[in-house]
This record gives sequence, structure tokens and C-alpha cells, in this order.
Amino acid sequence: MHFTPLPYLDPGSGSFIIQIAIAALLGLGVALRASWSKIKKVFGVKPRSEDEESDSDDARH
Amino acid sequence: MPGTRQLSASFRDPGGFLFTDHGILYRQINRAYAQDYARLVDSGLYDKLVKAGLLIPHVEVDQAPAVADAAFKVIQPERVPFISYPYEWSFSQLKDAALATLSIQKRSLKLDMSLKDASAYNIQFVRGRATLIDTLSFEVYKEGEPWVAYRQFCQHFLAPLALMAYSDVRLSQLLRVYIDGVPLDLACNLLPAKTKLNFGLLTHLHIHAGAQKQYADKVIVPRKGGMSRQALTGLIESLESTVKKLTWKPAGTEWGDYYENTNYTDSAFEHKRQLVKEWSAEKQPALIWDLGGNTGVFSREAALAGGFTVSFDIDPAAVEQNYRTAKTKKEQNILPLVLDLTNPSPALGWDNGERDSFNARGPADMALALAVVHHLAISNNVPLPQLATFFAARCKWLVIEFVPKSDSQVQKLLTSREDIFCSYTREGFEAAFSGRFAIHKSEAVRDSERMLYLMEVK
Repeated sequence: MHFTPLPYLDPGSGSFIIQIAIAALLGLGVALRASWSKIKKVFGVKPRSEDEESDSDDARH
Repeated sequence: MPGTRQLSASFRDPGGFLFTDHGILYRQINRAYAQDYARLVDSGLYDKLVKAGLLIPHVEVDQAPAVADAAFKVIQPERVPFISYPYEWSFSQLKDAALATLSIQKRSLKLDMSLKDASAYNIQFVRGRATLIDTLSFEVYKEGEPWVAYRQFCQHFLAPLALMAYSDVRLSQLLRVYIDGVPLDLACNLLPAKTKLNFGLLTHLHIHAGAQKQYADKVIVPRKGGMSRQALTGLIESLESTVKKLTWKPAGTEWGDYYENTNYTDSAFEHKRQLVKEWSAEKQPALIWDLGGNTGVFSREAALAGGFTVSFDIDPAAVEQNYRTAKTKKEQNILPLVLDLTNPSPALGWDNGERDSFNARGPADMALALAVVHHLAISNNVPLPQLATFFAARCKWLVIEFVPKSDSQVQKLLTSREDIFCSYTREGFEAAFSGRFAIHKSEAVRDSERMLYLMEVK
């Protein structure tokens, strides 16, 4: 039976691989969103403002 | 160098470390970190984060470095009034710390930098806000590189938050055992199966844990440029929306009824409030510890004198409510924390030197011990002289309430145990505390059998 003692097991490799796989999928979502807002722009729909301050509001008082 | 002392919490970072000199806290930045530090400042990221209250401000100073041959610069960061740890935070505190970390990472990426750590210990509550205190956490972003702190973020934030939200809020205490965050396989074993239906938890916890197991004994050579910036943005946004959706509300507890379950009248309550306010104003303590602070009603009276007040309680629901109140009212000098006084936070980590014990973070200028002595003396069986010794080591001034045996709350505690507490009387209490304190004031709380004392340590 294959056995690797606990001190030599590193969860880092799995984290690395899965991050790239998950992110590739999630990146598609970001790309689709960007294309969609470009299409909307062609039809004169204003994109939602994504200014710097808005992304901190939840962590802020 | 004589007079300087390197702090043991920052030994891992080759970029620099914290040290004190004559009581002032400094951070030495090593030459190895010079390029990243320059980018942090020159890109405007430092200013943006400080302005947003997300990063601790600092000034560059002319202080001699503690280790001269490696030194690039010495900075003096603003001092945090009280250092707290994630196992002392309520659900919303940990959630806000997680969201602050992700917000910093998003802002960093826009300016071509990235966080190399996502440790919950790098976040502290400053002016009521979750704030990054490690100025050396940033590195220049390299196109195509994955987020090096992804695993740490999942272990320090996502796994404990999911456990608190879906399994039991007390599982935040796992952070006290696992100093680098909750191992993902353990978290997944404890989480209910329905969390696999949540896309964020399925991917970042369950599938992530499975991949860790599968590749645990394999050496992976990272492929350069394997992850686009778009993919990285998607990853951060996904973590953010997963965290935002996690909620916790204590089951079976009605918000706000904590003080309705007491046995004393409104006038006794008001009298106690008034005495706490008066005595705090008189002594002007800079740091106040409210030990057994519940939802923080008396902490707020004490804080009116302007001191920084840490409001400790054993009940995570009370601490959660206290934090929400502080957040809503934008209070900057109240810090609610979860603490079991009968088993307070120990010193943790390498050489027991990375996280300070509760005791080592004192003493406070003033401690409040209201309606708490009977729990310690009767439920936890601590003899009164030992209680006096405990409080004498924690503070200079002590506002303490004695609740006599005849009080119905104490009677409740005695129904399930034999009354072996023959010295638990007002006289016994005063005699025990007189050994360690000078009793300056003693007032009978109106419409009650309780006594309130103002004492000064001898």
C-alpha cells in the first residue's frame, strides 16, 4: 500500500491546482460580464459604476 | 542594540519585522522588501487604503534599525489600542475582516500589486473598522501568477465563517487550536451536506479540500502565466460573494432581551449606570476592560469618559449584538470580544510567542466586573482571595459588583450545587479584596441587595 507520512504531505499543491481550475471558470464569468456591458453600451445603456470606493462599503462602518 | 526588543509575532517575514524601542513600536523594512514598499507608496495604493481606513497609517522615521545590516527603512505605525485575535471575534467581526481583506486585494490588483498573505491575524479593529496592520503584506503583481494567499484565505476566513453559519457558532474556537486556520478537510467533515449546494462553498471548500488530498504527496511545478488577471478577478469576486452570503443569527435568542432576564428593577439598573459613568469620568482611564460586558450597556457608560473600552463576554450572541450596535452607531472606542474568563485566551504559536495571552495584554487602567463575581466564585469555585489576586493583576482601578447569596440569581446557581461557600458574604468579599485593593467607594445599588465598589490596586 502506498503511504506517505503526514509531515511530508503538503496541501499547497492541491490548493494551487484547484485555484487555477476554479479561477479559469470564474474568469469566464468576468469576461462574459465585460462583453455584455459592451453590448449594452452599443444600445445606449449606461454601465453600472464600479468606482473604487464602492467595493469597500461592506467592510466599512 | 540596547533598549530595543524584536517582537516574536513577525519572525517569519524576510521583508521586515516589528520591534519596540523605549516603548514605541517600529517596523523595520529590510532591503529585500525595498522594491515592493516603493511600489506600495509610489502607486498611490498606500494613500488610497489609508484613506479608506483599510490599512494602518505609518510615518517614516529616523530611528536606528534593530538589525542594521539588513535594513532599508524604519517606519512607525499607528499603535492599535488593543490587539485581538480571530478566536475572540464574533461572526460579523470575522466576516468584516474577511471582506476587508478581499477589498484590499481588489484595490491592490487595480494598481498592479497583490496581497501575499491573507492571515486573519493581520487584521485588527481600529476606530471600529477591520484594518490591515501588516504594511509588508503587499507584493508587486506578476501577470499570470495565481493568488499565493488563496489557501490561507480559505483556512483563516471562509472555513470558520461557513462552520459558524452552518454548523455551530462556537466552532470559531477551532482557530485557537489551528493557528494557520481551520484545515479544509476538517471543515468539510463538520459542514452539513447541504453546503455542497452552495457554489462558493462547493468549490472553495469541498472541491478545494478534495484536491488537497489528491495532490498532497505530489510535487507540482508551477506553470508560468497559468492564470489570467481576469481569472484572478473572478476568483476574488467569487470569494467575496460567498462570504457576503454567509449569515448567522443566534437561534432561540431574541435580540435585545438580555437585560430583560435580570432580577433587578429599572431604578437599580439606572443607578448602576450612573455610578459607572461617574466613576469612569472621575478616574479618566485610557484603557477599560469590561469583564462580562454582555451587550455593552455599561461599557458604553464607561467609554463616555473617552477611554478605549474592550467589552468581553463569554456569549457569542451578546458579543455579536454588541458589535452590530457599535457598527450602527459608528462607535470608534468600543471593541466587543468573546472571552471565557474561566479559561481566557492562552499564549499560542511557535515558542508560545506568536499570540499573546489575555493576561499579557494587560493591565488595563480600569476594569469593570459587574454581576460577574458570583459566576466566578460559585459556578467556577474560585476562592475570593484568588479572585482578588486575579483582578489586581488585570487593572489599576476596579469597579466591582458584589451580588449576595440572598439574590435570586445566586440562588439559581446554588440550586444545582452544594453550598460550600461559607465565606461568600459581603464581609468576606470586602476582607478578601482589601488584601489587594484600597476600597475607595462602596455604594448600595438602589432597590437591590447588591453593592458596587470602586477600588484601587495596592
